[in-house]
Amino acid sequence: MCGTCGCAEHVPGEPPPPGAALRIEAHGHGGPGEARRLGVETSLLAENRARAEALRARLAARGIDAIGLVGSPGAGKTALLEATFARLGREAAAREAVVEGDCATDRDARRVAACGARAVQVATGALCHLDAHLVEHALEALDLAGVARLWIENVGNLVCPAAFSCGEARRAVLVSVPEGDDKPEKYPALFASADLLVVTKADLLPHVEFDVARCAASAQAVRPGLSHLLVSARTGLGMDAWLAWARDGRA
Amino acid sequence: MHEAKLCLALLDLAERRAADAGAARILALELAVGEWAGVAPEALAAAFPLCAAGTAAEGAELRMARVPGRDLVLRALEVS
Repeated sequence: MCGTCGCAEHVPGEPPPPGAALRIEAHGHGGPGEARRLGVETSLLAENRARAEALRARLAARGIDAIGLVGSPGAGKTALLEATFARLGREAAAREAVVEGDCATDRDARRVAACGARAVQVATGALCHLDAHLVEHALEALDLAGVARLWIENVGNLVCPAAFSCGEARRAVLVSVPEGDDKPEKYPALFASADLLVVTKADLLPHVEFDVARCAASAQAVRPGLSHLLVSARTGLGMDAWLAWARDGRA
Repeated sequence: MHEAKLCLALLDLAERRAADAGAARILALELAVGEWAGVAPEALAAAFPLCAAGTAAEGAELRMARVPGRDLVLRALEVS
């Protein structure tokens, strides 16, 4: 019996029964009327999915190709964008737009704007990921006239962005070689949400233990057929293949 | 982590459904938590009592079951 209220729900201090590990201690003590069960069967993630789908359609209708970038903080997401825009040249870069997500500062938006792209920063505060709603609002601050491609750089995080589409048509997940080749094994959900694996900072390969084949194989274990590219924003290695994927989604 | 935000969405949905059914109190909520939903049941359980305070679900029991997939679904409510 519950020592707090006398109901038969649980016994404080005793181990929970098998299978009850996820139950929390708080429980209802009834009110007026008889208890009954209501079927709901409603997804809590459905609202974001619907918003993302609508945003994807809206961007596609305007001829804008939207690409999501996810990866841990420091994976080189912004550096890859800088190298991409530098390679395209300022004239072409002016037709590129970027939504930057970070908990604080507008550093990344300023970095990509310095390369000639149109950029808006979303400072999420304590929030750990971008979602379709945040991106919709961010786009209100961007002039999309003449824009060919929209980049959505998520908050650096290998966990939460997995569950929230931001309206991108395809998504690249970045792993930098100093992070280690075991990231797809440790954070499978994010890799399962991706359309391309980009192994970044390849110029550091001689200095760190990183097995590209192992990383690619473990990502393919959760996302069958996932292609990968090896790039270095610093030396330009792999940048042609990266730009080709950015253009047509084929790698 | 984003469990508190999800918790508020959960309570909003639960309160609407309970009100539609003419129920005054929510006694329990049954959730199916996808293995890849990006949701930690422990974090949701910790956030729930704080988020539920002052709502029709104050003191309600949160029953969570891990399921395959990437969705987070409110399966049913126990109301009175």
